[in-house]
Amino acid sequence: MDIAYYPGCSLKQSSALYDLQTKKVFSKMDINLKEIADWNCCGATSAGKTDDFLSIAMPARNIGIAETEGFSEIVIPCSACYSKTVVAKEKLNNDPELKQEINSGLASKIKGNLKVSTILEVLLAGVESGALSGKIQKKYQGLKPVCYYGCMLTRFPYKVNSPDDVENPKSMEKILKKIGLHPVDWNYKTCCCGASAAMNDPETSFALMAKIMKDAVARGANCFVVTCPMCQLNLDAYQEEFCTQNNISERLPVFFITELLGLAMGMSVKNLQIDRHFVESTSIINLQDKVVKERK
Amino acid sequence: MPSNVLQFSPTDASAFSRKVAEISGQDIQSCYQCRRCTAGCPAVNDDGNFSPDMLIRLVNLGDKDTALNNKMVWKCVTCYTCGTRCPNNIHTSRIADTLKKMVKESGVEPLKPNIAYFHSSFLESGVRWGRVNESEFMGAYEMKNILHLAKQQKYKDIYGEIVQLSQFAWRVLKQGRMHFGFLTSKGSKEIKKLKKQHKTSSKM
Repeated sequence: MDIAYYPGCSLKQSSALYDLQTKKVFSKMDINLKEIADWNCCGATSAGKTDDFLSIAMPARNIGIAETEGFSEIVIPCSACYSKTVVAKEKLNNDPELKQEINSGLASKIKGNLKVSTILEVLLAGVESGALSGKIQKKYQGLKPVCYYGCMLTRFPYKVNSPDDVENPKSMEKILKKIGLHPVDWNYKTCCCGASAAMNDPETSFALMAKIMKDAVARGANCFVVTCPMCQLNLDAYQEEFCTQNNISERLPVFFITELLGLAMGMSVKNLQIDRHFVESTSIINLQDKVVKERK
Repeated sequence: MPSNVLQFSPTDASAFSRKVAEISGQDIQSCYQCRRCTAGCPAVNDDGNFSPDMLIRLVNLGDKDTALNNKMVWKCVTCYTCGTRCPNNIHTSRIADTLKKMVKESGVEPLKPNIAYFHSSFLESGVRWGRVNESEFMGAYEMKNILHLAKQQKYKDIYGEIVQLSQFAWRVLKQGRMHFGFLTSKGSKEIKKLKKQHKTSSKM
């Protein structure tokens, strides 16, 4: 199966490990990701706060490229990029005048039929159609993850069909159960980490992340699982600071879903670059590996 | 003596709230202050001096100055919780974004200048190169931020900012999360041209 792939700026920089893992895991599931040519920045939330026109025009160009290359579906692992792209598509379909205006300046015109998918939609469809069968080598039953979805996977500033339940999404749990994990139920699945506020308003962001962390710890979780590179970076890179500030003694690894899938399919910590996390994340995996070995 | 009591003029109030409603695309006047937005807003803290429902009320009352200088405008983390829960589908984050743009147009200093610098630096980097370069845009943001602090002679804050930034940069470098290449896309040209065309056609 061929599917268009939009990595976005963060997967080519600070979250390059997520780009690498996504490609590895998808290829193992026999889904061929084709990175669209010469894609541009989606504008993220900053465009929405600064320039309404650009917040549509920037993702529109990427939609046009994917459609011109002949794809019917595009997968966008970054939640902000996904949200901006899906909103731009809906707005353009509802505003023919704007669509015409933007198309007039684009080399690759937009039609508006492209299905914009989250990484969870594609993974879940793959898992449910048996793409993992016979490929699971390890079941880490000692991992007790909380699935953290953040904001932009289910909530939109415009009328868009949400790919999962708005208040209580479950696709990540469904995927993890298929690889033998037992996700912990909790209250902060869709709460905000502050996103860019971690850099420009840490007071707000750190307070939000401390609440998320406290609930995860109280529920007995031993790690987070995320799909958004911004959520991962925030909870991981600032964990030491927001935990110290809020008297939280525990530290929890923040895994991308692709890391847990890759590990289950037999890929190594080094191979998946899990050693590039800020919070020490490899000893919990090594411990699980020991348990798996003893069980055999 | 100047009074703090709001001078309410129905004509002025309606003009301002209609303008905000039009730009934001939100039917602000249908708000009946149920405060479901505020109950779910993660940015509202114990201070209690700002909240989504208060911001909507300020706009509907036509209190432009207070609305433009309201903390909610800058503290909003655009999580979209308010809008998905509002019985009238009002997205306060869109209103906050609209007021940010109005502050920019009016030329007054934003209540939280660094947040404004952050978003403009991010977008400028994305448009200039076609892709955002994290180190370059963070550098541009910090330059604006530090220059602003220097104008106000807040040297202690500048020191704090530099210490914090270098500590973070070191951690990012140590974990191999710093990127050294430079990202570009030809999309930059197309997008700049589109923006230019749009500006002339919408008589802004």
